[in-house]
Amino acid sequence: MRSMSRSAPTSGGALRRALLSGALAAAALSLGLQPAVAATRTTNVREEGSLRFASDEATQIVDEGRMSGTLPGSGRVYFSYNGSPNVSARFTIRTAGGTIDGTARCRLNNPNSPTPSFRGALAIVGGSGRYAHARGRGELFGVFHRRGYGLIVQAIGKLSY
Amino acid sequence: MSEASAQRPVRARRTASRARTGAHRTRAPLASLIAALALSCTLGAASAQATQLTSISAGFSPLRLGAPTALSLGFDVRTPDGSLPSALTGIVFHYPADLGIGTSGLGLASCAPAKLSFAGPQACPANSIMGRGSALTEFQVSPEVSEENAEIALVAGPAQNGYLKLLISATGAYPVQARIVMSTLLLPGQLQIHVPLVPGLPEGPDVAVVRVNVTIGGNLTYYERAHGKRTAYRPQGILLPKRCPAGGFRFHASFSFLDGTHSQAQTVVKCPRG
Repeated sequence: MRSMSRSAPTSGGALRRALLSGALAAAALSLGLQPAVAATRTTNVREEGSLRFASDEATQIVDEGRMSGTLPGSGRVYFSYNGSPNVSARFTIRTAGGTIDGTARCRLNNPNSPTPSFRGALAIVGGSGRYAHARGRGELFGVFHRRGYGLIVQAIGKLSY
Repeated sequence: MSEASAQRPVRARRTASRARTGAHRTRAPLASLIAALALSCTLGAASAQATQLTSISAGFSPLRLGAPTALSLGFDVRTPDGSLPSALTGIVFHYPADLGIGTSGLGLASCAPAKLSFAGPQACPANSIMGRGSALTEFQVSPEVSEENAEIALVAGPAQNGYLKLLISATGAYPVQARIVMSTLLLPGQLQIHVPLVPGLPEGPDVAVVRVNVTIGGNLTYYERAHGKRTAYRPQGILLPKRCPAGGFRFHASFSFLDGTHSQAQTVVKCPRG
């Protein structure tokens, strides 16, 4: 989120100008006029993708592929699994309006299976372009293909930007 | 954390009365062949009072950063005077947590511990075999010490609390026909193994494990079904990180013995050049 600061008025004239502008702003609000500040949009998001193995770093698998849903584009997921059922992921979704970055902490089930599933909480932590100040929360569901390192992921949540 | 079971074809009575320190005793009998041999032997007192000396080994094949590899682990137990070591009761093995064992593609099926115990690893699904190895054990046939080799299989067992479970079966054929099955969870960077006691000859000390070598991964054959056909493939193996840790890959092990002593050993796999 953007933060704004303003220096304090230092003279009587400045004080009068500040009081006048405050009074005008109050009058404008009472007439139903909105200040010229970018509004935050919040939308429900549902993204799905079947991702292919791109590279690895021992306990971390990097997968990439097309994402479809509310914000179609491409996705890259850094999926970490060191044998503990508590797995983590970082992801970037690249859309026409910019990128969305997020993290997730999930629980992996059935580790003996060739395709164990996982589920957990995700957080949108930023992005670029239209989504430079994106924030959000939701759930991440997925399946990890232990043979070929592919991932099927589904993210459902609310995105504010 | 670990379970242990032992199974032998023939039961024999044992009358040992030595104090045992915390370890669960497995009353597995000797094979009839050895029972007969025992009757013709003069039995002597245990001579495993000396402190055990241990060493461990570790290696990757191939040792190439960022590549899939097979991990070889081993240990030796001996006494300063060359006598029979005390029976091993537990091992805690520490290995680098950033080894990609979870992402190795090993253990894509699981084998029931009872099935492994009664019928051996050949009765388990091929995709549950995670590695193989061998063990050398010693037991007292007074005044001499006899040896026995055992085949080791590392098999994926049913998951527990979301962790992969590793079953370790050791099968000896001659002179003692026996199989023991141990289990451990594949915790990140750690294997904790309870070793069941295997009785030696009546009145004699328990069988001592003196050498073990195992390889996780390596020359294994798995099967997958694609387009209706069952196809064989070689599982990828453990993924090595692209960067070598400072000082190399460190391995450390703690050993517990029946006589109450403990021993520690460590080794380092040096970083490859270039």
